[in-house]
Amino acid sequence: MPDAKPALPDHGLGPFLQDARVRWVACLIALAVLIAAPLIFGPYGIVILTNALLYVVLCLGLNIVVGYAGLLDLGYAAFFAVGAYTIGVLTVQFGFNFWVAFPFAILAAILAGVIIGGPTLRLRSDYLAIVTLGFGEIVRFSARNLEVTGRASGLSGIQDPWLFGWHINSSIDYYYVFVFLAALAVLASFRLANSRLGRAWLYVRHDEDAAEAMGINRVKVKLAAYVIGAIFGAIGGAFFATNLGAISPESFSFEQSVLVLMAVILGGMGKIPGVILGAFIIILGPELLRDLGEFRLLVFAVGLLLIMLFRPSGIWPARRA
Amino acid sequence: MTTFDVVLQQIVNGLVLGSFYALVALGYTMIFGVIKLLNFAHGDLYMVGGFVGFLALSAISSVVGAGWGGVAIAMFMSMIAVGCLGVVIERVAYHPMLRAPRLSILITALAVSLVLQNTVLALTHGQYTAFRSDFGFGGINLGNLFITYNQMILIGIAALLMIALELFVSRTQYGRAMRAVAIDKDMCQLMGINVSAVIAITFLIGSALAAAAGTMAGAYYGSVWYFMGFLIGLKAFTAAVIGGIGSIPGAMLGGLILGLLEAFGTQLPGVGSEWKDVFSFAILILVLVLKPTGLLGKSEQERM
Amino acid sequence: MMQIFTRALIAGVVALSTSVSAQALDIGVQVPTTGSEATYGQDMINAVQLAINEINADGGLLGEQLAIVTGDTACDPQQSVNAASRLVSAGVVGVVGGYCSGATLPTMQIYGDANVPFVIAAANSTQLIPENPGNAFMINSTGADQAAKAVEFLEGQGVETLAIVNQGDAYSQDLADLTAEAWEEAGHTVAATETVNKGEQDYSAVVTNIRSANPDAVFWTAYYADGGLLIRQLRQAGYQGEIAVGDGSNSPQLFDIAGQAAEGVFAFSNPTAQFLPEAASFIEDYEAEFGGAPGPYAPLAYDGMKLLAQAIEEAGSTDADAIVAALASVDGFEGLAGPISFTEENTLARSNFIVLEGQGGAWTRADD
Repeated sequence: MPDAKPALPDHGLGPFLQDARVRWVACLIALAVLIAAPLIFGPYGIVILTNALLYVVLCLGLNIVVGYAGLLDLGYAAFFAVGAYTIGVLTVQFGFNFWVAFPFAILAAILAGVIIGGPTLRLRSDYLAIVTLGFGEIVRFSARNLEVTGRASGLSGIQDPWLFGWHINSSIDYYYVFVFLAALAVLASFRLANSRLGRAWLYVRHDEDAAEAMGINRVKVKLAAYVIGAIFGAIGGAFFATNLGAISPESFSFEQSVLVLMAVILGGMGKIPGVILGAFIIILGPELLRDLGEFRLLVFAVGLLLIMLFRPSGIWPARRA
Repeated sequence: MTTFDVVLQQIVNGLVLGSFYALVALGYTMIFGVIKLLNFAHGDLYMVGGFVGFLALSAISSVVGAGWGGVAIAMFMSMIAVGCLGVVIERVAYHPMLRAPRLSILITALAVSLVLQNTVLALTHGQYTAFRSDFGFGGINLGNLFITYNQMILIGIAALLMIALELFVSRTQYGRAMRAVAIDKDMCQLMGINVSAVIAITFLIGSALAAAAGTMAGAYYGSVWYFMGFLIGLKAFTAAVIGGIGSIPGAMLGGLILGLLEAFGTQLPGVGSEWKDVFSFAILILVLVLKPTGLLGKSEQERM
Repeated sequence: MMQIFTRALIAGVVALSTSVSAQALDIGVQVPTTGSEATYGQDMINAVQLAINEINADGGLLGEQLAIVTGDTACDPQQSVNAASRLVSAGVVGVVGGYCSGATLPTMQIYGDANVPFVIAAANSTQLIPENPGNAFMINSTGADQAAKAVEFLEGQGVETLAIVNQGDAYSQDLADLTAEAWEEAGHTVAATETVNKGEQDYSAVVTNIRSANPDAVFWTAYYADGGLLIRQLRQAGYQGEIAVGDGSNSPQLFDIAGQAAEGVFAFSNPTAQFLPEAASFIEDYEAEFGGAPGPYAPLAYDGMKLLAQAIEEAGSTDADAIVAALASVDGFEGLAGPISFTEENTLARSNFIVLEGQGGAWTRADD
């Protein structure tokens, strides 16, 4: 768990990490530890870490919507579901190869991002919250009711993909796939934050009207956030589907959306290390507490509450200009 | 049953369900009004209210019986206890967060929700608890239409509570202060209004209404369960938004509309029980796209 | 509090990082111990524990004592995958359990890949059958058997039109679909099919819908808690026809929730301990050990453990292939719930469903 250093922006490790070279070294060390992890942890540890890395991808995706563009989204699981179900339906029902189906998953995510984003982006954030929540539920109920998505039982027998002669099928294979995806998501998030689009998001988040006056098309910019966030979610979902081999509507519930949002805000939205830390806490916390039995979620929730009370902007928040 | 009977019966069903939604939605809307927080723990206060009502009724049923009289007393006790719980939650969890980013307080609310749910889970081992009340199955038969006395009493109590709330907010000094705080907190502070106290009272009333709904639901449906607040919390949130969040009449209207939508969604050919939630959410989205502030809401500038 | 927390955290970290630790013979029990189905899960753990106590008292297996490792699924697919991985990591010899079909499904591949024998004691959706990599054995009759029993019994009651209500999860939807199909094949009418959401409380709109279709019988295919509410609301609204429930609702708690309304309700059920002639001493032992009556899936969990133990004994080692082979060739193993043999698909070779009727706040046999 190399990202779990509770560093603060203005003291402790904070200033140390401001140095770009040091930051690169820290990233490389983190990556090296992640690559070596299967040697240290048993198979169970690998499954849990894979899960945490999946969450890193999802959280970074939601972070673009919530953290960068400042849009509340309570239905992020819908994008995750769109990715997983596109792969599931195309490979199981229509016999597509995974890599042929994969672009369709991305396309479907873009479409979903536009459908949800398009007509609703002029809403206030609270209304946006309920619309995204409603959209998430519509996607889940549709998956539960439609024949093509296997109804409540979901789809099973989703084949593991091949990549240049490498059959991705063991849990260690999937672990490395998710290490790669998480690294990709981190890189993409960095690049986006420092791009023109990233600055446009910053403007829109701080003052929409001023941004509009500066010639930024706010609807377009917000839509871009939704679409990019959706793509992250769909990629996570696609590999989630092949990893589990079976998907069902339970995996894409409102609780799932809430958990991802919780991780983003807990860690410190807008800040990449914070979001990664949040993802690890949300996944590892309940697992590490497994021996508490029925008390485990209670202890976890109390912990969350305390963290929020003592660090209201998240554990590792973005610096406010 | 003729189509006409079915329509009437579904209206009754929708009104009963809508009354529960409306009572819970009121708390949502009031709390949102004063501190702009979507209190996700609100559904869980409904659940706790159900359990406290159950305990209260068990304690007093040997004296006053478990009919509507006993339930009304238990409901009142539950309202007081859960109202106080609401105030404590506000003081401990939300008050220190009022100046924090808006989304942080949202997550705090989610954490409070988890704490409440899992405390009750641990105490009850996840079991459903039978809520024994001596309600008859009696009612009025109008042809094929059947309305039980319970349904009438329930709608009556809900209406009474809502009228009382409306009077409180529109006629009393505290009500006026509440409305003022909803408009501009800082200005109220300068005007000498005790904003802290107003917020506390809002939580007291909102939580008490949820507790009333919880106790009535326990008695009416016959069991309470640690997870019973989740779905209704979601639905009440939806209802509050349909009506226009922050608006008290809007919450009542939204609750009743959502109840009716679900009842008719279940009945409509081509929708049915399987698709009724998709139907309600689709209408919700449609309402918001056409009228972005909800049915009775006012438009307002905001910053995240 | 802090101490418990720290201790649990340390235990968790250790569990995360140790790979294999099989000193004694560990048996995995995969059931929900949190969430709404926790009661059933705890009950199954108790029954397995009882079987293990008996085996250990007789000198254990292969000269070693048996021990339980539990994996909480919370009836959630993702959580159950975590639980299954943890059991595999702990190096269990075999796994008994599997309660919710939806949560059992994705774990079959994990046990298949790790080559761990898996005796499924409760989950019985037909969706599990094609996913079986060959090492899983279902000792509860499948949904198809239950649907057949339901059709046979309801026909006998003179029912012509049937409304079927499920809860939108894998288990209850599977049973609803199978029953609807079998019912229509038998030449009768399905008057309505309804889906409700778990925890919804208010089913009045569905009840009105059913009343307007006016079927001879209503069949609820999901669990007792929501089933109790539905039965209550059906009767309150004046529905007069027959009501039947599936094996997820065979709990005595149905009577707590539905009250008077549950009188005369039929339940299709796996054999519960009180109706098994062989299980008298089992009930006694269970009550002495755990201070309560065994729940609906206790006998099957007990049978599952005993069956696994016999297979290990026969294999003469902890070699998974040998154990699986021994399980596959089981022929008429005498369990509490009757003889166990498997079909080609590793499902129970005979239907074990019985019919119960609610009378005086308890279940009685209705099909003798």
